[in-house]
Amino acid sequence: MSEVRLAAEPRTEFGKGAARRTRRAGKIPAVLYGHGSDPKHLALPALEFARVVREHGQNAVLTLDFDSSGTELALTKTVTTHPIKNYIEHVDLLLVKRGEKVTVEVPVVLTGESDSGTLVTQDLSTLLIEVEALHIPEQVEVSVEGVEAGTQVLAGAVTLPAGATLVTDAEALVVAINAAPTAAQLEGDSSDEQADAGDTEASEG
Amino acid sequence: MLIPRRVKHRKQHHPGRSGAAKGGTRVTFGEFGIQALEPAYVTNRQIESARIAINRHIRRGGKVWINIFPDRPLTKKPAETRMGSGKGSPEWWVANVKPGRVLFEMSFPNETVAREALRRAIHKLPMKCRIVTREGGEF
Repeated sequence: MSEVRLAAEPRTEFGKGAARRTRRAGKIPAVLYGHGSDPKHLALPALEFARVVREHGQNAVLTLDFDSSGTELALTKTVTTHPIKNYIEHVDLLLVKRGEKVTVEVPVVLTGESDSGTLVTQDLSTLLIEVEALHIPEQVEVSVEGVEAGTQVLAGAVTLPAGATLVTDAEALVVAINAAPTAAQLEGDSSDEQADAGDTEASEG
Repeated sequence: MLIPRRVKHRKQHHPGRSGAAKGGTRVTFGEFGIQALEPAYVTNRQIESARIAINRHIRRGGKVWINIFPDRPLTKKPAETRMGSGKGSPEWWVANVKPGRVLFEMSFPNETVAREALRRAIHKLPMKCRIVTREGGEF
């Protein structure tokens, strides 16, 4: 995972009015904490931070550049977005040190074309792994190339990069490859939907 | 039809309709979803109707998640009744949906078919909705 440099400036005024003024100025209110230190309130450039998340994912290690007090390494912990308009409202950043191990969610990406007549169902879209902060993989790949129907790929069977350990349950199902339904099965299944119309009353108690 | 198994109180006040959804605003289980853009009470009949619309269109080979549950009773007084004499009897079970809430999610290999299934389901729902994708959560 690449390291990205971002200019950060400390925030001196707090509350919703101040946060809205920060957003109107094209910045995102953020907080930086970790390692038992006091939280620092920051403002990050909105467009640049959105670009970083879009291009490098939420696990990008940020080098926060303070004008006066040097730099800090940080990892994005939470990004709060507007439920409808989809812009970033606030960011929680976690302080990290070089060589420190962190637990992060890494996306699972399927590669290759499965056999014809099979249906690939991805049950887990992310895996929780423990890895060194500066070597977080952008994604974990699972190949479904030529895999037969009836195969299941469990979390323990996914190849992780060197130095990473799996935190997700090793028995958790990541991908299931099943036989695709035939035309006859599709015909027979269309009448199943209206079965449960039982209109029972909820009892008080 | 979805209905609570047991409730503490049979009749409740009307659920509040102000504000936006506080959680459940992203597609988390499937690949595509229906997101509400307006507040609404969604009845269990509407949820069931939308579910059937999706399942009829995709037939087999996909998976559907319903992220809302109709846990709020609404009451109605009988027709041509004078006011007073207590609250009416429970008539509907509704989910109190706020803007931004993802109501249904689905995973299906073919995006065109999945979008058409969700479009049909949106027609069964009482508010404006849009189709969202898991990747569409990016900024």
